[in-house]
Amino acid sequence: MRIAKCPPTRKASCFWDGHNLITLLFAQRSAGALSAPRGRILSLAALSAAILLAGATAYAGPREQAHRIHERLAGVPPSEAVLSDMQADVAGNSATAAAFTAMDNSSFYSVTLKNFAAPWTNRDQSVFVPLNDYTATVIGMVRDDVPFNTLLSANLVYVGTGGGIPAYSPTNNDNYQALDDQNADLKTQLTATTQTAVSGLPDAGTAGVMTTRAGAEAFFIAGTNRAMFRFTLLNHLCRDMEQVHDTSRVPDRIRQDVSRSPGGDSRIFLNGCIGCHSGMDPLAQAFAYYTFDPTQGRIQYTPGVVQPKYFNNDATFQYGFRTPNDNWSNYWRAGQNALLGWDTQLPGSGAGAKSMGQELANSTAFARCQVEKVFRNVCLRSPVDGTDRGQIDSMVSTFRSGGYRLKQVFAESAAYCMGD
Amino acid sequence: MKIASRLKALLQASSLAIAASILVACGGGAGTERLPPNNLPPPVTYSGPPPQTADIQNFMSAFWPNVRNGGVARCAGCHGTTQNPLFAREDDVNLAWAAADQLVNRTDPGSSVIVQKMATGHNCWLGSNQAAIQACTTTLQTWVENWIAGTAGGGTKTIQLVAPPIRDVGQSRNFPLDSAGFAATVYPLVTEYCAGCHSSTSATQQSPFFADDDVESAYAAVKTKIDLDDPANSRLVLRLRNEFHNCWDNCAANSQEMEDAIRDYAQQIPVTAVDPTLVISKALSMYDGTVASGGSRYEAGQIALWEFKEASGTTAFDTSGVQPAINLTLSGDIAWVGGWGINIRSGRAQGSTTSSRKLHDLITATGQYSIEAWAAPANVNQEEARVVTYSAGSTLRNFTLGQTLYSYDFFNRSSTSDANGSPLLQTSDADEDAQATLQHVVMTYDPVAGRRIYVNGVYTEDPDPATGGTLGDWDDTFALVLGNEPSGDRQWQGVLRLAAIHNRALTPEQVQQNFDAGVGEKFFLLFNVSAHTGSPMGYVLFEVSQFDSYSYLFNRPTFVSLDPAWTPSSPIPVRGLRIGLNGVVEPVSQAYRNLDTSVSVANGYAAATGQVLSSLGTIMPLEKGPDQDEFFLTFEVLGSSTNVVTEPAPLTPPPPADSPPVSDIGVKTFDEINATMATITGVSPNQPSVKATYALVRQQLPAVVDLSAVLASHQVGIAQLAIEYCNALVEDTTLRTGLWGGFNFGAPASTAFDTGPERDQIFIPLLTRAMGTSLASQPDESAVRTELDNLTQDLTACGGSCAADRTKTIVKAACAATIGSAVTLVQ
Repeated sequence: MRIAKCPPTRKASCFWDGHNLITLLFAQRSAGALSAPRGRILSLAALSAAILLAGATAYAGPREQAHRIHERLAGVPPSEAVLSDMQADVAGNSATAAAFTAMDNSSFYSVTLKNFAAPWTNRDQSVFVPLNDYTATVIGMVRDDVPFNTLLSANLVYVGTGGGIPAYSPTNNDNYQALDDQNADLKTQLTATTQTAVSGLPDAGTAGVMTTRAGAEAFFIAGTNRAMFRFTLLNHLCRDMEQVHDTSRVPDRIRQDVSRSPGGDSRIFLNGCIGCHSGMDPLAQAFAYYTFDPTQGRIQYTPGVVQPKYFNNDATFQYGFRTPNDNWSNYWRAGQNALLGWDTQLPGSGAGAKSMGQELANSTAFARCQVEKVFRNVCLRSPVDGTDRGQIDSMVSTFRSGGYRLKQVFAESAAYCMGD
Repeated sequence: MKIASRLKALLQASSLAIAASILVACGGGAGTERLPPNNLPPPVTYSGPPPQTADIQNFMSAFWPNVRNGGVARCAGCHGTTQNPLFAREDDVNLAWAAADQLVNRTDPGSSVIVQKMATGHNCWLGSNQAAIQACTTTLQTWVENWIAGTAGGGTKTIQLVAPPIRDVGQSRNFPLDSAGFAATVYPLVTEYCAGCHSSTSATQQSPFFADDDVESAYAAVKTKIDLDDPANSRLVLRLRNEFHNCWDNCAANSQEMEDAIRDYAQQIPVTAVDPTLVISKALSMYDGTVASGGSRYEAGQIALWEFKEASGTTAFDTSGVQPAINLTLSGDIAWVGGWGINIRSGRAQGSTTSSRKLHDLITATGQYSIEAWAAPANVNQEEARVVTYSAGSTLRNFTLGQTLYSYDFFNRSSTSDANGSPLLQTSDADEDAQATLQHVVMTYDPVAGRRIYVNGVYTEDPDPATGGTLGDWDDTFALVLGNEPSGDRQWQGVLRLAAIHNRALTPEQVQQNFDAGVGEKFFLLFNVSAHTGSPMGYVLFEVSQFDSYSYLFNRPTFVSLDPAWTPSSPIPVRGLRIGLNGVVEPVSQAYRNLDTSVSVANGYAAATGQVLSSLGTIMPLEKGPDQDEFFLTFEVLGSSTNVVTEPAPLTPPPPADSPPVSDIGVKTFDEINATMATITGVSPNQPSVKATYALVRQQLPAVVDLSAVLASHQVGIAQLAIEYCNALVEDTTLRTGLWGGFNFGAPASTAFDTGPERDQIFIPLLTRAMGTSLASQPDESAVRTELDNLTQDLTACGGSCAADRTKTIVKAACAATIGSAVTLVQ
């Protein structure tokens, strides 16, 4: 590896020397110049180093700031006309207006938002997955300024339209695969409808992206439905189970399949398992009527009938909780997880995934998570200091008070990170 | 068993005391007892009067043969002819029965005088150590039970609840409100060595944050990790000492250092009585309860049984009562488990081939058998591991219960298998029947149904690949081994809490019965709550057992009055039940904290059975051991007493420390690169060759923005895609004309680029699109053009023999070098 030989003081530029050298070699090989003069290649490679250094040190005026805003939001360079327009906005102290101009570019939807949401839709958290109804619904909600705190409860799904695009099917992903195959413009080719209309779920059985086909396929398939809860927490409250671990919650809803003595050692349960399951199991009870049928390829909702998966391994600890219905309770409203900022206007318990989704999505942690994800996406880094955290706090505040419009968060983040 | 039957006879301890005095009088006291003769006359055929009743017949078949001449217990040496009571006499079985009948308690065989006498060590035939005495006692109790129940029985046992002693909750150390003591003793240690993870400001944060920057937050988190009454039992110490969890130097020294710090801290805290504001019950230890185990197993065909009650020594005794006993010798790293059991880490528990022969003899006689085990595999990674095996090594066996990953294995040698018991019957891999938790596993075999495997009482429905056969080929020279093969090369790791062999194939109902009976010693604890409820002899009854070496199981709290005439005249509210241990109510595992009910006839209280408050069970951590740990109950509301507990609001953690500055630029990712190249070149990403190339290299392109994560392989993919876009651009007349309208692509390479204006026709439009204009954040345009000039000159140097399409190729190269460079890739 050439990079290993780079002196520390020139690491970044040297790194780019090496990488651009590869492109140049390919370009020359493509051109038939198999024996390009070495000095020339190195000279050309140095060009990229100069580019990088210039980018890192140059003063950023309104034009450069506008350019960065566009690149960060749309992922592509702006046209001269758009850049000039945005430059004027930035110069006029209206960088967020410039950001909204950048978000008019279709690539914001087809590239930025698509890859923003894609990792939430699969257990591997891979971005390399086909477009699906989960991702499309996120894109559509952002596009149409649908309050994002309904993400986990709305009876809503965005479906693809256009020539050669098959109709939505609750049993396959063809509609979205076709959009993907056509590199379709997701700014214009997504249409809102209800899940009830396209997948037949009753309104009470819909819970935003959690009950989309892709969500169900990823997180309701097999298992115990805890995956849906864990990944929703991970993706939308930005916390894995380790961060919400609290052994002081009441364990009376931990199901029978959780061993109280893993490998014959109950200390593991008392110090580990109980900390997550005591809070997770009473919340994941909300999914008691859901599963994904891999044979039919669709979500199954059985109101009033608890799915058999809730009784898997029920002899492991027969004295544990046996799920009678889909009533959920949020035990994390007390204890250290009260810091997640639960909405005091909500009761903290209920029946079914829809109300549980509302419980999650109206927490401060949900709003902060969305803002932090956008911040990382636009600023290419996490908050590092008090100034950054102050900006996050400010954006969380406007996000919540301004109708949970995620585009506003993108705009504010882009304006904050446009360089100076 | 039914609670109704448990409650029938109460407070009858006096009868036990009276009976005990009789035995003491007969025996003359331990100091004057004669040892049993070593050389007893051989058993003779009984020729006395026939048994006069069915019970005497049962006595004659189940109990008497073991104590008379030739019996394994060797009681006849004294109690056969010379020393009262003459329960082992030879002359008349009816008289022997009459003597023995005075020594047994038919409702609770375990408390029989003869069993209790053996428990004092009275001439145990297995030896004089505690483990041997335990085994003799259990075996004798089994004989009594078999006699009482009849050999076809295995029925249920009646439990008598006895009012426990009245004892107030003891004293212990509790955490003070002020964290100053912690901050001065333990906190410096944990912040020095644990803050790398156990702090909310750590980059690799791991809850609990007992080493947090904020001492109050750390103090709140550390409380469950410190045992003030026994510093050595603190979680902070045990993690270092026993589990070697991130020791900073030497685990033994580090754990001692931690223990010393905790001891310093604990000694600053005065011993206090239990919080006087709590609404509490009276206190109990586990052994204050009434024993309630072992009565409901189906044992009619049981020919070997290991309950691992010994708790010490290197022998696990076969207490089935069927002779010869297959006593197992423990070798290797095997530890006794609290609440009965052995933990096999390595090694095995092996019986002699001589005693093991009884399996051969008794099973080949019936042609069917069952292997039963309560086992907790240590993991689900072990393969071909033997739990219970009757074999000679890894290739010769009669039967084997084993584990492979998530499956249980069943080998059986029969006329339709080979000498290794193959083909193997294995539970379905997909079902994952074997789990690393305590499970009841039964394997049954009979010639008709073949092999069947039951896990936790449920038939696994895995079909036997072999047809039923006979067991005539069984070898009687094999040894019964637990945890390994006799050859030592099939190690199983885990906890065995019971193992049994039956010479009958248990029916599904019998398997279920044995699963329901559970394992280990179980007690009924009666927590006195009369003072708060106004009910005479009012108790909250818990079924309590030692769950494993580290915890107790508390199950099914029931409100009951031992006064059979009492019923609540008005509802008694019961809310917020917590279980206290050693004077302290810990927050962990309080499964009844949300309990909110009232005791009333309307809610189901019945004089005989009481009222079940909750059907749930929970485990509570073991601290000092079952003989020392003292339990009590507290309530938020109980009858007229109230102590509402309000949880304090959690402390807001301090803001995290600033992170080191990071780059605020990064690379574009795959779709952005594709879209950028499409935007610059104007080529549709759906152009077939471009689309194909992108599909090929998509996952080769950068997927994250971090500059340091970009590899040479990423750049290879970028170059391929850039070349494909530029190729499509140049080959598309419309597109290239739109970008380079004035350039003559038909001119030969030698002349097409030989002037500056000609080259500018290519470079200026290209760079305008790729770099934009007047952007200080982009490189100097003239420098870029100079480099592209140089590249073009190099590529036109064909020595006068350039190919016809060389001009287009050079434009493609210049284009690719530009759009595949940092000019477009950095954002």
